[in-house]
Amino acid sequence: MSVATLPSRTTALDQVASLSLPTKHDEAWRYAPHQALGQLMFGPATALDSVPADIDGQIPHIDGPRLVIVNGVVDPTRSRLDSLPPGVQMVSLADAPADLATALDREHEGAEDAFSILNRAYGTGGAVIQIDGRSDETIHIVDVVVPGGTQNASATRIVIDMAAGSSATVVETRIGSGDLFGGSNVRTEISLDAGASLEHIILQDLPSTQIHLGRVDVIQAVDSALRSRLFNLGSDYSRVAYDVHLAGEGAQAHLSGLYFGFGQQTLDQQITVVHDAKDCTSRQSYRGVLDDASTGVWNGGVDVRPGADGTDSEQSNDNLLLSRQAEVNTMPRLEILADEVSCQHGATVGQLDEEALYYLRSRGIPKEEASRLLINGFADQMMDDLKSESVRTWITERLGHDDA
Amino acid sequence: MLHVENLTVSIGDTPILKGLDLGVGAGEVHAIMGPNGSGKSTFAHALAGRDGYEIGGTVTLDGADLLAMEPEDRAAAGVFMGFQYPVEIPGVNNMYFLRTALNSVRRTRGEDEIGARDFLEVAQEAMELVEMKQDLLYRSVNVGFSGGEKKRNEILQMAVMAPRLAVLDETDSGLDIDALRVVAKGVNALRTPERSMIVITHYQRLLDYIKPDVVHVLVDGKIVESGDHTLALHLEDHGYAGFADRDLDDASLSGATA
Repeated sequence: MSVATLPSRTTALDQVASLSLPTKHDEAWRYAPHQALGQLMFGPATALDSVPADIDGQIPHIDGPRLVIVNGVVDPTRSRLDSLPPGVQMVSLADAPADLATALDREHEGAEDAFSILNRAYGTGGAVIQIDGRSDETIHIVDVVVPGGTQNASATRIVIDMAAGSSATVVETRIGSGDLFGGSNVRTEISLDAGASLEHIILQDLPSTQIHLGRVDVIQAVDSALRSRLFNLGSDYSRVAYDVHLAGEGAQAHLSGLYFGFGQQTLDQQITVVHDAKDCTSRQSYRGVLDDASTGVWNGGVDVRPGADGTDSEQSNDNLLLSRQAEVNTMPRLEILADEVSCQHGATVGQLDEEALYYLRSRGIPKEEASRLLINGFADQMMDDLKSESVRTWITERLGHDDA
Repeated sequence: MLHVENLTVSIGDTPILKGLDLGVGAGEVHAIMGPNGSGKSTFAHALAGRDGYEIGGTVTLDGADLLAMEPEDRAAAGVFMGFQYPVEIPGVNNMYFLRTALNSVRRTRGEDEIGARDFLEVAQEAMELVEMKQDLLYRSVNVGFSGGEKKRNEILQMAVMAPRLAVLDETDSGLDIDALRVVAKGVNALRTPERSMIVITHYQRLLDYIKPDVVHVLVDGKIVESGDHTLALHLEDHGYAGFADRDLDDASLSGATA
């Protein structure tokens, strides 16, 4: 089998010629820079002659297996695939074994769009991870974009397939190099079989000249558990969309995220959780800090399908605006077509607490440092139950503080 | 040490303090008592440097003009205010907050910063003084603390900051008798010949535990009477009514002569 000849891929290639990009009239793409999106040039992945050295300094220091993908092609020298833990298989998509055809051709609940089709068409050099066991080691995937040449954008496809009862942690770091315009289109497709449990972390920190388009599709079977964390920090525009389909009874999904914007950044999160079976639980808790003239978008939806009785869902989105030019657009959505359902949502937008600022200053802490303490305190709560010290260190260093 | 002369404070168009005079010498403990709305808390916040006040008059500590300083510089100059309502700060570790506070004032004073390990000893000693549970040091500042724990945390901060002037704003409010005893014990242990304190309270009860050198009665933005601790006992028996009436009488008299 070859990824290149999968039915879904050849269809996608056929569609590429006649793609229409999303417009500002598509609610889910309303805040995207449509002109810039049109300037992203995708194509068949081609390996770089030499990878810029500044990449290595940006990668979190996580021990264990690692797959590094540069401009859509696996970089074997930076990857560590020789000592995979028992029960873990991780290969380049290009080398995917034949028995994976089903996983690779899976159709998802969320509607396809121009960028997901481009991803299917050109994202041939990504990774396939199969887990059948309980792995303690963190699996790390690093996606790097270095714009240049005829294509300024890369497509990467990640497939994570977890067998019944398995558990793992996967970290996806998304970074870039250079000061040219460009971007990355990364799609992660996750399938959790009965009782499987996955912690999935995205660290997005592309250069401010680039655009990041991320999409995560998840399908969950009976009693499976997803813990998803997004740290949406870099890029000029970064949009990360989650479509989580709770298809088996008792499945649980807990999604959280932090977006922290400066300058002219727009950080956009589009979340949909579909409750499609009885007694499933979902949590969405996202926080945003917006400084300068940055914009935050949080569009979080819960769809409770007929028959999904006993649904338990909560959504929260709290935002801190640090400047008069900063902006946030928060939109909780709820559609309930089942009985005995508990769905709660709340959103807040505020500024730094003046009373808390005064309290800290009255203890001798200068105003600027007191503000920083409050901001970090707000943001750090998104790491409260984050176990990986190396991920935590990377985030706190990235956010420029040392109070770990 | 602390000199307050003709202090006036207004919030918007509303005058709160109307010419307050007060002198507190080194090592002295002064109690300020008064009915609700008399301006007690406003006085405390005027000393600590809260924003949003129109202020007149002079306030000096060891000769330095406090009113010209930002709150953080007042802390470095040696002012500490115990809040009536300590603020909850989610996500900021209590221990880290305390150390940052101490090191901030040390830095401003040109002193060396104190390292994490040495600080832990300072904090432990203060914790024992206020009989505070260990885990509160590792929680977010005041988040999920009971009323009593918040007030202990204020005294803990006072012990760590070792101020020149401590202003305790209704530290007794909302405390049960055990918590009151612990807080008072902490305050008494921190009395030194160099440290002055202003204890603001509505009730005489706290003064059973913290014996003041001088008691002042604040009514309608002015100190109307000062005396020794027996004045507090008098207030306990007779309330503030007499003082309020006299203040009104004064007002009508001055109206008559005008």
